Amino acid sequence: MGTVTSTFVENVRANTWRLFDWQLFLYVLLLIGFGVVMGYSAGYGDAGALGMSQTVKTLIWTSIGLTIFFVAASLDYHWLTTFTVPLYLGVLALLAITMAIGTSLFGAQMSVTVAGLDFQFSEVCKVLMIVIIASFLTGRRERIGRLSTIVGAGVLMAIPTGLVFLQPDLGTALVFVAILAGMLFMSGASIGWLGVLTGAAIASAPLAIDTFLHGYQRQRLFCFLDPQADPLGACYQLIQSLNAVGSGGWFGQGLTAGGLNRSGFLPVQSTDFIFTVVAEELGFVGGLLVLVLFALLIWRIMVIAWAAGDGLGSMVAIGLASMILFQLLVNVGMVIGIMPVTGIPLPFVTYGGSSMISLLFGMGILQSVRMHSRRPSF
Amino acid sequence: MADLNEGRHDLRRSSARFIAFGVAAALLFSVLGFRLFQMQILNGALYTQRAAAARTAEVPIPAARGLIFDRSGRPIAVNVPSWVVKARPADLPQATSAPVLRRLAALIGADAAAMQRRYDAFKGSPYDLVPLMNVGRDAALLVGERSEDFPGIVIEVDAQRRYLDEKGATDGSLLSHAVGYTGPISETELADLADKGYLPDDPIGRDGVEASYETELRGTYGSQLVERDASGRTTKVIDTLREPTAGKNLMLTIDARTQRLATDALEWGMKAVGVQEGVTIVMNPQTGEILAMVSLPAYDNNKFATGISAKDYQAYLAQAGKPLRNHAIADTYPPGSTFKLATALGALESGTTTPTRKWPTYGCYQIPGAPKGQCLFDWNHAGFGPLDVTDAFAISSDTFFYQMAINQGIDQLGDAAASLGFGKPTGIRLPGEADGIVASTEWARRNGRASLFTGELAQAGIGQNVIAVTPLQLLNAYAALANGGKLMRPMIVRGETDASGKLVKPYEPEVLGQLIASPADQKVLRLAARDVITSGHAYNIRDLKLPGALSGKTGTAEFGDLTKNKTLPFHSWFVAYLPSKAGSTDADLEVLTFSYSATVPGNVSTEVVKYFLQKYYNLDQDLRLDPETFALVARNQN
Repeated sequence: MGTVTSTFVENVRANTWRLFDWQLFLYVLLLIGFGVVMGYSAGYGDAGALGMSQTVKTLIWTSIGLTIFFVAASLDYHWLTTFTVPLYLGVLALLAITMAIGTSLFGAQMSVTVAGLDFQFSEVCKVLMIVIIASFLTGRRERIGRLSTIVGAGVLMAIPTGLVFLQPDLGTALVFVAILAGMLFMSGASIGWLGVLTGAAIASAPLAIDTFLHGYQRQRLFCFLDPQADPLGACYQLIQSLNAVGSGGWFGQGLTAGGLNRSGFLPVQSTDFIFTVVAEELGFVGGLLVLVLFALLIWRIMVIAWAAGDGLGSMVAIGLASMILFQLLVNVGMVIGIMPVTGIPLPFVTYGGSSMISLLFGMGILQSVRMHSRRPSF
Repeated sequence: MADLNEGRHDLRRSSARFIAFGVAAALLFSVLGFRLFQMQILNGALYTQRAAAARTAEVPIPAARGLIFDRSGRPIAVNVPSWVVKARPADLPQATSAPVLRRLAALIGADAAAMQRRYDAFKGSPYDLVPLMNVGRDAALLVGERSEDFPGIVIEVDAQRRYLDEKGATDGSLLSHAVGYTGPISETELADLADKGYLPDDPIGRDGVEASYETELRGTYGSQLVERDASGRTTKVIDTLREPTAGKNLMLTIDARTQRLATDALEWGMKAVGVQEGVTIVMNPQTGEILAMVSLPAYDNNKFATGISAKDYQAYLAQAGKPLRNHAIADTYPPGSTFKLATALGALESGTTTPTRKWPTYGCYQIPGAPKGQCLFDWNHAGFGPLDVTDAFAISSDTFFYQMAINQGIDQLGDAAASLGFGKPTGIRLPGEADGIVASTEWARRNGRASLFTGELAQAGIGQNVIAVTPLQLLNAYAALANGGKLMRPMIVRGETDASGKLVKPYEPEVLGQLIASPADQKVLRLAARDVITSGHAYNIRDLKLPGALSGKTGTAEFGDLTKNKTLPFHSWFVAYLPSKAGSTDADLEVLTFSYSATVPGNVSTEVVKYFLQKYYNLDQDLRLDPETFALVARNQN
């Protein structure tokens, strides 16, 4: 704590808080606020107190998350790179623990219960892996164009990705891949090799899907191509979601008044299908508002990436942008039927403590990058 | 860490790649935004409609099944609420059904496997309800309270049939054969009846009036548009699209009290001689209305209405006397001497004999054209001397009627039998009526012969061997004699009633044909039937203090294998009719009893009819004879 306090004091003395990105902070808070309201609406009427208690939980998680955010912001982000190896081992350990003693959620070992609270370690591992890959890439700045850079980063990422995939959590595993792709591309890695590898990945996708995916995962995956293939089985959730989104119109049916949400037709409303509730109850305007907030957020993150004092800060920002963009694409794309159904939360908006804390941790690092961009810390 | 500070050696910031990233992000947001616009604004109406369709359903409003009353307005078949656990596959998909059904079974203590089987066997629309299990009220409430735990499970209150006896007690066995029961529609029936608006969990009449008057009783279902939640619970009725029309309430021609008296009498007689199958039918011969129709042993149709267990069903199938069959209409038996009515009418009509012509009778009648010594016995093995048709009918001489059959020929006998309604169903509106057999030239040809043997023809004349009738056919034939020559269609339903059981639309009796015999010839047989009571074969029944003159005919028919006592078991028949009110000359009450396979010397059927008449007219007499000893069963009150 001493370090933290002194750093905070130093920051104040150095007036680095002057550089605090208020826009970034505002967009994040707006998205969280949106999530709280929609989560309340989604749970509204479900056995009385449940809706409120979830809202309260979200607020508690957000408070914890904001504390972490400010601590992370006040620390110089370079500090993290001093122990990338233990961090990496920590990531692997967390994911291995999840595999070993995880609580089963819909048949997948995705979270660990500590003191009655479920932690999905894969969430925080995403942010940690962004830092680790950023550190790795900046360390290879002289040889960044070589194939070995891509292979090295790929191997680093492949192990946690594999562990997450085996939980099995296909969605989060894909987020890891997307983070890696975004960071490699922006790091200056060879476009040629990236193209070749992307081509190879696409070419082998059908085989991989057949080999690695469970029957039910596979079915759900392909629902978006033809929802009527199994309207009452694997594609049931998707069909209800499409109907709900489509019936939102310009302004929606009003908070807590969405017909399908209210009647319990939307599955797991407050988690993966929260955007469906937004679209049904607040309509096109509400959905667009969420997209605009995300666009502004991404814009701010990219501005920070561009203006970062060094490659490390830039890479961390790129990683976070890639992660948020990909999750947005897959989550929203899923509920509007242009992406396969995978369980990926909508950043900030989806109810969930681990996701919230991890994201705010990431945003804290981002603020740190912003605040330390003009003046290298040493 | 030093390298981190060497900015000029740091990762190169590529504006091209930043622009590419930005373009990709912009593209992503555009795609999501456009797709949202497309779904919500351009195609919004389509999805709104689909969402509404998912939340609303057009559900049928069942019509109340018509009630059934007896002819005195006593309720016989009523509707009571019954709780049924059902599943809606749309909300309980196959993939998730097993754990839900297992939890449900654990909660209400039911058999999960049985429910799963019913669920799996269902092949209709996923929005239909699959009945899984009938449950008690408490279990229904329990499931209802915890409906969030059981998505796609619905508790519905369905109407269930309850069958009552003459005192209003839940006892279907009194009238089960006439009334029948309802049961769930089968898949094959549903395939045929879906066009008529039948639903997968609908009840359908299975036997008796419930089956034969299904159309009237069912009524017409209505339909309504409802809003429902994901678990299938109806949250709101939006609109009634069509009101249901309740089924018609029916009044049986049967009087439940008369039925009870007939049942008691028959049960006594069957017990007295140890037979396991018996029939008593009471009818108004003027109209063909059935006043009682008892077929024993009976079954309890309430067991079927509530879903009979496999064990109970097997027990019915295994029970002696075939309780599930209505022996009054579904089974045929040789009529024995009662068939002499047909032989006599045919002989008179054809001029084979006249009312006064006497014919010799024999101890054993030599079959014409057959080798000497091949003869057929009279029942007393001695003969009765010369007899006219009246006396021969009263005494029931067999050798007289051999001659009548042979001399009139098979075709004439067949015509007489047909005009009395033998050989084809009586047309009573009940399911499962048998044809019966009347030997004919055609019948012989179907059996590979040019014609009947003369011996067979002779035996046909006394209702043996090549003649088989249902008890109702025989009763109806004597009804035609009693009512002056009209062959009626026996009626089981008297008409339609209001909800309280008051007759509002009587059905008309229907005359199916006329006897071929002239009124004068019929009168001869009516006198002969009266003689049966006064001087013939019916023991002391003549001493009953009845309101009008009783006429009738006994019959026995031997069949089967020799018993221990070297006698054949025999069926016994007694059919009788009388004016039911003092001063009337029209016979308007007719009783028939048939008992299957007795080995006693007496005609137990006569005793049963006697007993019934004593009870029916509340006589202070008990003239019943023990069929074994011909001694009075009870000391005469007077």
